[in-house]
Amino acid sequence: MSMRSQVYEWSNLQTNANQLRRLSSDQPTAVVASREYDIFTGGVGNNITKPAETTATQFIVIEDIAASPVLSGAMQIRINTTDYFQNPDVTNMDGIPGLASPYPRGANSSISLTTTTTETSVGSQNILKSFDLYPDVYVLPGQTFQILYTTPTGTTNTALSTQVVSAFVKYTLYDGPDALIANKLLELGVTINPNNVDWYKRSLIEQQQRSRVAAAAGGQA
Amino acid sequence: MSMRSQVYEWDASSGTAMTVQTSLGKRVSVFVGGVGNNITKPAETTATEFVVIEDIATTPTLFTWAGIADNTTIRGLLQDGTAGTMGIAGPRSYVQVRINTTDYFLDPDNIPNDGIPGTASPYPRSINFQPAFNLYPDVYVLPGQVWDALVTFYNAGAFAGATAAAGELQCFVKYTLYDGPDALIANKLLEMGISINPGNVDWYKRSLLQAQG
Repeated sequence: MSMRSQVYEWSNLQTNANQLRRLSSDQPTAVVASREYDIFTGGVGNNITKPAETTATQFIVIEDIAASPVLSGAMQIRINTTDYFQNPDVTNMDGIPGLASPYPRGANSSISLTTTTTETSVGSQNILKSFDLYPDVYVLPGQTFQILYTTPTGTTNTALSTQVVSAFVKYTLYDGPDALIANKLLELGVTINPNNVDWYKRSLIEQQQRSRVAAAAGGQA
Repeated sequence: MSMRSQVYEWDASSGTAMTVQTSLGKRVSVFVGGVGNNITKPAETTATEFVVIEDIATTPTLFTWAGIADNTTIRGLLQDGTAGTMGIAGPRSYVQVRINTTDYFLDPDNIPNDGIPGTASPYPRSINFQPAFNLYPDVYVLPGQVWDALVTFYNAGAFAGATAAAGELQCFVKYTLYDGPDALIANKLLEMGISINPGNVDWYKRSLLQAQG
């Protein structure tokens, strides 16, 4: 279990601020316009106990990020203090739009706050992804990372009209020996994915076998 | 028949139907949880079996807004903000894989979480709900291990009636069962750091035959 596929889902549903884990008593809470919310420790929605970071024996490869396509929401990845996505003039941006990487896939991009009794409140669109996070984003041992959700419009902030937005991140956690191999692959300039980690393990085993055969042949001679 | 593709579908309405009162916010085993369709004993591998879990999925949830009237069905999912969480349609369900006593899916703070959201890995898949998650690398259940798929849902307004109706909360597990000699080969591939799938098991058999011939 040293390479594990992991996901994290966030939404602005909570019972209390700075809430750990999900509760059945959760209700929508307002998201302020143009504020970056860390989906791990941002204080809104479901959070975790401490900032996301890798230990000395962990290596994380972020493979996908997605957000609700409504309200022009966007997702940014921050490694330590560096934002991953930037404008061509090297200025800051909100990141990947939910319209380009929707969560859920097939979701609506519009919502009507005036239609309350029929499903036409939710737009009929089925937004599919037009963005693929490739190459993947590497979080090296000892680094801290944040996934930031921003909406330029914000959600409506009255209890009975707040929109629910969500964000999603998919990553692979390499731990122990597999994290060492991931570091080695990084040095070699080889893409880090489960296949290549397995390939490196196989090549180590083959190398050992060849050495053993060569030693045995040398002994006979 | 020593490599067999298998599926298990669980529906909260089958057998002893699930109720909100008994199961809301609690982890329920889809095999022996006492609600929905169950099997006779916990899922486990014998000394001559090897299981590779290739996909898990559960009922999706749609994020909408809090003002939608109660009992509105949106994209096949029920929204009832008075009974449950406002602004979402569907059960808000998650599925976790447990091997012996270890949960597979963790938060970035290394604490086990609820598992894969149905919104990311929906069952059934549809135009409205398509998968954003692919269980890769696969999850291996070694010989002699006990495994489970645990469903948790958080929206008390997910069921139209007092108990779950068909399709309101489901879970799906796809796995391959390797038995007998193929389980031995699966173990060998694991030692060699090769992904265990039917193609690689066949490759190993062919290489054995070539070595003999």
